[in-house]
Amino acid sequence: MKLVAQKISRQFFRNSQNTNVFEAVKETDFVLEEGKISVIVGRSGGGKTTLSNMLCGLLMPSSGKVFLDECDLYALSDDERSKIRNQYIGIVPQGQTGLSSLTVLDNVLVPVMMYGDPETKKEEAMTLLYRLGIDDLANVYASDLSGGELRRMAIARALINNPEIIFADEPTGDLDDETTQIVFQLLRELADSGHSVLMVTHEKDALEYADHVFEMKNGVLL
Amino acid sequence: MRIAWTLSINNIRRKLFRSFALILLVLCLSFAVFAGGMTIMSLQKGLNSYTARLGADVIVVPNNATSHGAVDDIFLQGITGNYYMSGRDIQKIYGIEGIEAISKQFYLTSAKASCCSSRVQIIGIDPETDFSIQPWIQDTYQGKMGMGDIIVGANINVPLSRTLRFYGNDYYVVAQLSRTGTGLDSAVYTNMATIKEMAANSVTLLDTDAFNSVNIDTAASAVLIKVKKNKDAETVADDINIHITKVEASSSRSMIASLMSGLSGVSRVIGILTGIIWILALVILMTVFMMISNERQKEFAILRISGASRKILFEIMSMEALLISSIGAVLGILIGLVIVVPSASILSGMLQLPLLMPGLMAMIMMIIGSFALALLATLIPALWSAHKMTKSETGLLLREDA
Repeated sequence: MKLVAQKISRQFFRNSQNTNVFEAVKETDFVLEEGKISVIVGRSGGGKTTLSNMLCGLLMPSSGKVFLDECDLYALSDDERSKIRNQYIGIVPQGQTGLSSLTVLDNVLVPVMMYGDPETKKEEAMTLLYRLGIDDLANVYASDLSGGELRRMAIARALINNPEIIFADEPTGDLDDETTQIVFQLLRELADSGHSVLMVTHEKDALEYADHVFEMKNGVLL
Repeated sequence: MRIAWTLSINNIRRKLFRSFALILLVLCLSFAVFAGGMTIMSLQKGLNSYTARLGADVIVVPNNATSHGAVDDIFLQGITGNYYMSGRDIQKIYGIEGIEAISKQFYLTSAKASCCSSRVQIIGIDPETDFSIQPWIQDTYQGKMGMGDIIVGANINVPLSRTLRFYGNDYYVVAQLSRTGTGLDSAVYTNMATIKEMAANSVTLLDTDAFNSVNIDTAASAVLIKVKKNKDAETVADDINIHITKVEASSSRSMIASLMSGLSGVSRVIGILTGIIWILALVILMTVFMMISNERQKEFAILRISGASRKILFEIMSMEALLISSIGAVLGILIGLVIVVPSASILSGMLQLPLLMPGLMAMIMMIIGSFALALLATLIPALWSAHKMTKSETGLLLREDA
C-alpha cells in the first residue's frame, strides 16, 4: 500500500480571532514507500507531528491531498476514513496513551472491538505483548502502568490489526535502551515483511534502521 | 456496539466516584419528577373523587358547625364534630323554593372506638332518600343496611369478627368502601335508626349534653340539597341563609371552587419546582459532562487513532449516559414509590387537600414519563459534549494533550 501526499500544508491560528496565522507545515510532497522505514527528524515545533497526523488521516490539510493507493483520504466520509485507519493504518501517538479503565489486553484489543470480534485476536494480542515484554501485565489496568509500559502497550495496540502502514511518533520516548532496540527491531521486521513505516523521532539510533531520513525544519521537509 | 458496551461498563466500574455522583444526580432528578407528578395526579384524582362523592348542590349545616370545622373539613380531613340542627329548622328548609331533593345526615363522634387509634366520625344516612353516599356505597354493597349494620371507609381497620364497638354495643361491618382520598375514608356509615341508637347510648354512657337542645329523633347534622334544573344553587343557598337564621348554607360549587384554587396553586408550585429541578439538573449535568469531556479528550483521541468514527464516539457516550441514567432513574422512581405512596395521607393533611393515588395505568405512565425525562436530561448533555469533542480534529486533540 502506497501513501502519497501532494502539496499538503497546514496552518493554525494562534488567537481566537483567527488573525494570527501560523504555518506549521509548508507546502510539501511526500511518498511513503512499501517495505521501507522513513524517519523524520528535527527540532521540536518543526512540524513533524503535524505532517505525520495529516498523512495518517487525523488532521485535515489546509491545502493539498493525501492518497492511499488511489484513494483520496480526505475526500472520504468520517466513517470511511475511520475504517481505513482502523484496518490499514496503525498509529503510535506521542505521549502516554492508554484507556485507564481497561486492562492492558483490552487496550490492545480496542481497534478490534470497533469492527470485529476481539476473541479472535486475543492470541495475537498476547504474542505482541510477549514480544514487547509486557505479557505478564495483560490483566493489569492501564492506570497502573509506568510510562514505558504504556508506550509498549500503545505499540501493541497499533499493530494488532496487522496494518500495512505504521505511523510512530516518538515510539521510544519513555523506553530504556534495551526496549528501544526491541521496538526498532520490531519495526524493521515489519518493514521487511512489506509494511510501510513512518517514524518521527529524536532518537539517533533510529537512523540505523531507516531506509529514508528526512529533516523537518520550520515547516519545511528537507 | 461492543466497544461502547465494554468501555461504558468499565468506565462506570472503574470511575466509581464519577459514576456515583452522576447516578445520584439522576436519582434526585427522577425522584423529583416522579414524586412531583404523582402528587399532582393524586391531588387531581382526590378532587375528582371528592366532587363525585359530594353529590349535592347545596350543603346546610347548623351555625355552630363552624366551631368544629366546616363541613368541607369533615369531608376532607376527617375532623370530627357533634353538631345538630333541630327538626323545626329542617322543616323550614323543605319550604325553600327550587329544591328538588333533600338528604339528611346525622354525625356522631365515637368516644373511643375499638377499631381505630383515633376517634372516628360516624355518619348516619337515610338510604331511602340519600343521594350523596348511597350511590357510592352501592359500588361495594347492594344489600339493605339493617339495624346494627355499618359500612366503613377504606382507612378503618376491620377485625376478623367484622364487628366494631360503639358506645357499649357491637355493630356488624357489612362492607368496606373504596378509597376516596378524603376524610370520608376514616368515617363509619350506618342508617338513621342505628346512629340514633348510638346517640342515645352516648347520652347514657358519657352523660353528654350534646343533645340537650335537640330532639335526637328529628335532628340532623347536615342537610344535602339537590336543586331543580332551572334553579341556581347559589340563590337557593342565599335564600336559606336569609330565611333560616340558625343554619349556614353553602353551595358545593363554592366549596369546590376554593378547593380548585388551592389545588391549582399547589399543583402550580409543584410543577414549577419540578421544572426548576429538571432544568437545574440539566445544567449541572451539562457542566459535569463538559468537565468529563475535557478529562476524556485523551481517551477520545486514543479511540480516534484506533479507528473510531464520530458515530462510534457518540455510541460510547450515549451508552454510558444511558446506563448511568437508567440506574439513577430506576432508583429515583423506586424511592419515589416507597416515599410518596405510603405518605399520601400525611401529605393530604399537610396540603389540606384531598389526595388519592392514581390507578395502575396512570402510575405506569408516570413511571415511563419520569424515566424518559431522566434519560433525556442525561442524554442531551452527553451527546452535546460528544458533539463538541468530535468537532475537534483528532490531530488537534493530540496536540492539546501533548
